[in-house]
Amino acid sequence: MKFGLFYELSVPRPWTRESERTVYDNALEQVKLADELGFDQVWAVEHHFLEEYSHCPAPELFLTACAMVTKRIRVGFGIVVCVPEFNHPIKIAERTAVLDILSGGRVEVGTGRSATWTELAGFNASPDVTKKSWDEFVRCLPRMWTSEKFEFEGEFWSMPRRTILPKVYQRPHPPMWVAVTSPGTELDAADRGLGSLGLTFGQFAEQEKRIAEYRRRIQLCEPVGEFVNDQVSTVNFLYCGEDDAVGLKTGRQMANHFNYLAAQLISVRETYPSKSYPSLGLLPQLRRQATGPDASEQAGEGLCLGGPERITRALKRWEACGVDRVNFLLNTAESIPQADVLASLRLFGKEVMPAFNGGKS
Amino acid sequence: MPVFGELELATIADSLPAMRDLDTEAWELPKAEVLQLACEIADGSCALLPRALHPAIPEYVTFVVTRYPESPLGPFSLAQVRLMARAGVHPRGYVLGAVASSPDAVTALRERWGYPAVQGEIALRRYHDRVAATVRREGRTILELALVDPEVVSGGDLQYIHGVTLARVAGAAQLIQVDPHYTLHQASRGRACVSRFEPEAWNAVLVELTTPISASVSTCDTDLPRIRFVMEPETPVVRGTRKVR
Repeated sequence: MKFGLFYELSVPRPWTRESERTVYDNALEQVKLADELGFDQVWAVEHHFLEEYSHCPAPELFLTACAMVTKRIRVGFGIVVCVPEFNHPIKIAERTAVLDILSGGRVEVGTGRSATWTELAGFNASPDVTKKSWDEFVRCLPRMWTSEKFEFEGEFWSMPRRTILPKVYQRPHPPMWVAVTSPGTELDAADRGLGSLGLTFGQFAEQEKRIAEYRRRIQLCEPVGEFVNDQVSTVNFLYCGEDDAVGLKTGRQMANHFNYLAAQLISVRETYPSKSYPSLGLLPQLRRQATGPDASEQAGEGLCLGGPERITRALKRWEACGVDRVNFLLNTAESIPQADVLASLRLFGKEVMPAFNGGKS
Repeated sequence: MPVFGELELATIADSLPAMRDLDTEAWELPKAEVLQLACEIADGSCALLPRALHPAIPEYVTFVVTRYPESPLGPFSLAQVRLMARAGVHPRGYVLGAVASSPDAVTALRERWGYPAVQGEIALRRYHDRVAATVRREGRTILELALVDPEVVSGGDLQYIHGVTLARVAGAAQLIQVDPHYTLHQASRGRACVSRFEPEAWNAVLVELTTPISASVSTCDTDLPRIRFVMEPETPVVRGTRKVR
């Protein structure tokens, strides 16, 4: 079981120059500490226009800063939106390569297609075709990183024969992942030999079933890259307090803040009927299922909030379900003071991490 | 914390529908046809939105024109303009204006569910390439819109957001949640086209349409249900919601 951090970079109103900067500074300080504690990876998502919820439109820049202040932690460039109106695939390949070079080969790439009307309409992108453009992008990226020269003619983009530079530092190329919110997307990941980067909590039994099917399908995959990444990652909240009462109270507050802000966004399904975004695919809804007023007791048990023993129990359950990695959201809208976030991380490093991987980070 | 509505309640208090009570009986409404269009609007609609609610990001409205061929009052149609919002974590359509096609329907909608309904003429027509609706009142066309190039979709692809009305109940202003059930039989989607919209006729003077989003039309069995929740209009819904039943 590997542990990571997951950043949306949420900035509460009122917005000032300093409040934006403080959120970024605090996140960098957390990443630096996580690196020292032995966390394996830090992810930053690409989002646009999502007021308060996420002020992270350029994750590769934030991750470059992360790489500069850390030694070992891997940097997850993702979710990068694989929709041509958002990002040209050449630029994704190039930016990934530069980040991989600057970080000394520590990049992982998470791919996705955005799930909000707020963002897709902001870029004038049609929700109907995002899955197709994503598919085209993920098949091209490994070839752009590994072929000396590359040319392509597709439905969503084309280019004549050119040398895409620089090449990635890792050989053959960084591990690739797919953001999984809608049930079934993990199978799209499996069919292409890509890691399943889960962004929802769900329940133990449901996750176990989905992971088992992913494992079965990926045995039969036709990988889009040079190798198969058969890992399953999930996301979770983390607040580790001295005891359950303190940890749960503070952690629930953070989770509720997160859900409240997520619910303000306009999902594609709310406004735009499309087969491309099936009913359970809403990131905010699924997160609410896990932590909101409708949350079941079982889902509550899966959250990494509370004292060290409770969190260890939850993570052991996820491990038994087949999860390889858990990425943690540490704060939302700065609802937890930075000193407490750092203390929670330290306590997790001291009391919880040794219970996994034979105590080795 | 997200932005809240900024409605000065006193400015509209006198014109609010007066509800008899919250013991409204449900109406079964089979075989309804629902035409819905969504459209982004320019910033500035917060002054129309009660302080209990948050505006959607970005701000948008929905136009909902429904033909009810069967109801306890006989056939009638209802057209609504709704400012889309959030009641805490729940998406809701705050009803700015409503037109119903018969005097009995107007009275019932105002007294039982708090709709700010007035009487008008509503036409909902299906053509080979569009589904069009027109609303007229006092000799003027106040809304003309269409779903263009219909394409059949699954009923599961449509999402209907519950409504919220603002009415007086026992003398006090209350937000009333109206949350119908839908059993869909047919559904199509298409491009949204609004060719005429007179905001002042819908209590929506600050609403300026910008980007059309989508349109859908369905045939469904639905209802106007019993009232389950009411909210204080000036208090965040997390603190100001009351369960009626």
